[in-house]
Amino acid sequence: MKNLIQKITGMRLWALFVKELRQIQRDRQMVVALIVPPTIQLILLGFALNPEVTNLRLGVVDENRTAVSRELISAFVEGQAFQVAAYYQSPTELGRALSSGNLDAGLVIPSDFAKRFEARQPSTVQLAFDGVDSNRAGIASSYAQRTMMAFNQRNGLAPVKMESPVIKPNLTARVALLFNPGLRSSWFMLAGVLGILLVLNGSLVAAGALVKEKEAGTIEQLLMTPAGATEIIVAKITPVFLLLSCDVWLALLIMRLVFDMPMRGSLLVLFCAGALCVFAGIGLGTFLATFSKSQQQAQLLNFFVNPPIALLSGATSPLEGMPHWVQPLTIINPVRHFATIARGVLLKGAGLDIIYPNLLALFAFAVVLVGLSAWQFRKQLE
Amino acid sequence: MNTLMETAPNTFLPNEIKVSWNTPAADQPDIAIRIAGLRKSYGTIQAVRGVDLEIPKGELFGLIGPDGSGKTSIFQILGGVMQATSGETTVFGQNARDARSSIGYLTQSFSLYQDMSVEENLLYVGMLRKLSKREIAERGGRYLKMFDMDRFTDRLAGKLSGGMKQKLALVCALIAEPKVLLLDEPTTGVDPVSRREFWDTLAHLSGTGMTIVVATPYLDEAERCQRVALMHDGLIRQIGSPAEIRNGLGLHRLELRTSDLGQAEDLLQSGREIVDVQRFGDRLDVMVRDTAKGEAEARQTLTTAGLETREITVGEPTLENAFVSILRELNGEQRIPAFPSRREPFSPSRAGIAIGANGLHKRFGAFHAVNDVNLEVKYGEIYGLLGANGAGKTTTIKILCGLLAPSSGAIELAGAQGSLRSSQVRQKIGYMSQKFSLYDDLTINANLDFFAGVYQVPTELREERKRWVLEFSGLEGKGDILTSSLPGGWKQRVAFGAAIMHEPQVLFLDEPTSGVDPLARRAFWKMINQLADRGVAILVTTHYLEEAEQCNRLGLMVAGKLVAQGTPTNIKAAQPGQLLELIVSQPQQAANLLKLEMEPWRVSLFGDRLHVIVESDAETGIRQIIQQLKQHNLQVLKAQPERFSLEDVFIAVVEQVRKKGLRTED
Repeated sequence: MKNLIQKITGMRLWALFVKELRQIQRDRQMVVALIVPPTIQLILLGFALNPEVTNLRLGVVDENRTAVSRELISAFVEGQAFQVAAYYQSPTELGRALSSGNLDAGLVIPSDFAKRFEARQPSTVQLAFDGVDSNRAGIASSYAQRTMMAFNQRNGLAPVKMESPVIKPNLTARVALLFNPGLRSSWFMLAGVLGILLVLNGSLVAAGALVKEKEAGTIEQLLMTPAGATEIIVAKITPVFLLLSCDVWLALLIMRLVFDMPMRGSLLVLFCAGALCVFAGIGLGTFLATFSKSQQQAQLLNFFVNPPIALLSGATSPLEGMPHWVQPLTIINPVRHFATIARGVLLKGAGLDIIYPNLLALFAFAVVLVGLSAWQFRKQLE
Repeated sequence: MNTLMETAPNTFLPNEIKVSWNTPAADQPDIAIRIAGLRKSYGTIQAVRGVDLEIPKGELFGLIGPDGSGKTSIFQILGGVMQATSGETTVFGQNARDARSSIGYLTQSFSLYQDMSVEENLLYVGMLRKLSKREIAERGGRYLKMFDMDRFTDRLAGKLSGGMKQKLALVCALIAEPKVLLLDEPTTGVDPVSRREFWDTLAHLSGTGMTIVVATPYLDEAERCQRVALMHDGLIRQIGSPAEIRNGLGLHRLELRTSDLGQAEDLLQSGREIVDVQRFGDRLDVMVRDTAKGEAEARQTLTTAGLETREITVGEPTLENAFVSILRELNGEQRIPAFPSRREPFSPSRAGIAIGANGLHKRFGAFHAVNDVNLEVKYGEIYGLLGANGAGKTTTIKILCGLLAPSSGAIELAGAQGSLRSSQVRQKIGYMSQKFSLYDDLTINANLDFFAGVYQVPTELREERKRWVLEFSGLEGKGDILTSSLPGGWKQRVAFGAAIMHEPQVLFLDEPTSGVDPLARRAFWKMINQLADRGVAILVTTHYLEEAEQCNRLGLMVAGKLVAQGTPTNIKAAQPGQLLELIVSQPQQAANLLKLEMEPWRVSLFGDRLHVIVESDAETGIRQIIQQLKQHNLQVLKAQPERFSLEDVFIAVVEQVRKKGLRTED
């Protein structure tokens, strides 16, 4: 055992590795940068990118004024999606209030509502939405539909039909574009944002570590040692990789504690996916660093590459919403694969049997990018 | 595109600058700088421990001393950028901090904006000083012309050679026309040609009445100061003119040439009459109290040991001799720890070509950086590569050690040919790059751990080797200091130690002693000689030609070409012409006159002495010069032929190549 330890600590790679570790240790800023911003970003984005809508101002015209009609109204308010802003005497008044922007939605309950309800006949209520903020209108409409469905189910009724006259002309068209799949949409977002954070931080930190050596001028001294290009790259990558792996766990903890994220599948599988994602990011960063002479250049290159990776990954917006020619391109985006894995594992409890193609894709990215950077690093010398 | 042939660089035309040659009145000198009871502490460290100093107006005053003796602290206090712990510092009667507008301060590191042009740098500095654009243009143009840099106004500061950067920094400091100029090691990393020009400029400025305080680790430069203060451990230990300090020693210098320098050095070291021995490439400098007794003892010692004494000549001690002797008195004998080697020295059978280059070329676009270089370094040989900044030395080294592929040509390195980038080859090589050999953000110990590990020094030897490096660097027990907090000279020592920890067979040293004080430089060269004696092949570059004499062979590079190769003695012997040393009544004025009469590089000023290289023999030369100076009522007090120093040869060779129109820097 003692011999083995001595053998390891006597190795060249060990010396390179310890050096990197010590440099990172001295670099408090970097360690802080690896922990604080991802935490804040995750929490901030988890809340901010949440497309959930609450407290929509609902105007009501209750021509029925019975216990049943009040029950329907309270069904709307229950979910906290709507809040009754005002009651109106006539649909015309309601229409005016909607047009002036005082309301987000209007509900008109007809006078025969309770009667038809008792008779178990289908009845129709009118719902109107302010379509100026089409997104908001769409969401409100879907909430309303769900509320009606719940109301029907609870009362064991045939569906209450909803009629949506067009108050702002674009309303009906927008309803079709709805994408919010669940009430807790932050879960969906967070799984994707985690992928973005891992790739971005990986590439930034790795590029920084390599370019620092160039800027300080020590790279020549390093290249004159018997250490090979692969050894140098591996030693540079490993400490960053270890630190970012901790980030994966940290992020999962935040998701669990702050956002109450379900963890239905194997966390180990998810961690492996995260680790590969980190590798891909580091590989990307080192690759970019081999082209840069200064931190500034490296960061600008990163800035050029990273936003598309983040935005065209399906992590924060649905792939289906992108132009058709862009959609196939996202296959070469590691974040896309990670997001698929994370959602599958966390929300659906998917196992290796389902997510293995994405995992393999991530693996391929990691190998290709790290390999490419080692190759490019060696090529620099010629 | 720029040939330097027409406008010779160190021409000063007196009519361009207002010149007043009057020296301050002897009885009542104007005091420019007054320092009394100055102290400065950083935490528990006392950097300056009570300094009193008065510098009269117009004096060129030198501050010398080992690394960490408090020179930079004094500069920072004088420049008004740092508060003293206690004591008084006045510049023309004003507190140093309030007098900043009349002070120009040049720091150790380049204080230029690398990505701005020469002109933009000047404009920026001038506007900071609230000068009008017209004033900036007028003064900037004048000083640039004076430094022969007026062709480069559009060039980015970052693209200038080291020497030109320093000159531009000086112009920036001069543009406000300060009364006092503070220069902290302005010539570190600057080649001998530029250095000589730089000092000519300083001598000239001091002649116009500017007060100049300058620190330098190069003691041949310090000889050009009117007065010098030797600092040690925060105190001034000696002050006076270079001549006073040299003569104050009461020692004489014997130049001794013998068959085995290494052995002779060891033998003479313990001599009773002998105070100090220093080894150069082809001679020993032996310091003795009494010339006759010393010479007799030296001869006898060598004869007893069976060594042949080829020649002993008596010379004056140099300022460096004085520096070393005084410091040895203060510090006690400095011991250089023996390298804890476990390897037998190479046997002669292994001796062969360690570094070889045949027809080496390197082009960067249209720029021919290395042009047909052929050289060979054998095991056990010290080869010195000399050249001005930008002559292609560093590029050549990078090619020779495999960091850069040549455009064409064959290379051989430690037995490998063609591809030099194998791990096995690099294992046999030690490399110390020009500046950044250590990781600044690691401690010294961590750096040493790293180099020991990466070069696979056997684990059981690592602690011993690390201890040796610390001892060699004079940093015992200080291994946990962060490398970035070390002064430059110390960093170089650690870097050198780190580069040889794995006992390389071939060693590349790119300006290893840049910024290192004379005492430590001696330790460096002792170690380099020891390594060579053990069979290591060493290729070294230096701007310090005094130490280049310690090389077995030298190569002189100009504009990418090796223009001369040979032993120091051969190279000096091959130099045509004769060097004369003159003592004249008004040296500065005489120098200016002679520069108009002959090619300017042939004349240089060393304090109160004048060095002139004439084409004819000594006698005719002296006669001509006396006549020339007589026409202007200048008197030659003493004139004698001198041996060429390597620096004289270097400058002459570079100038001759320039004359032929080869580009040296652009």
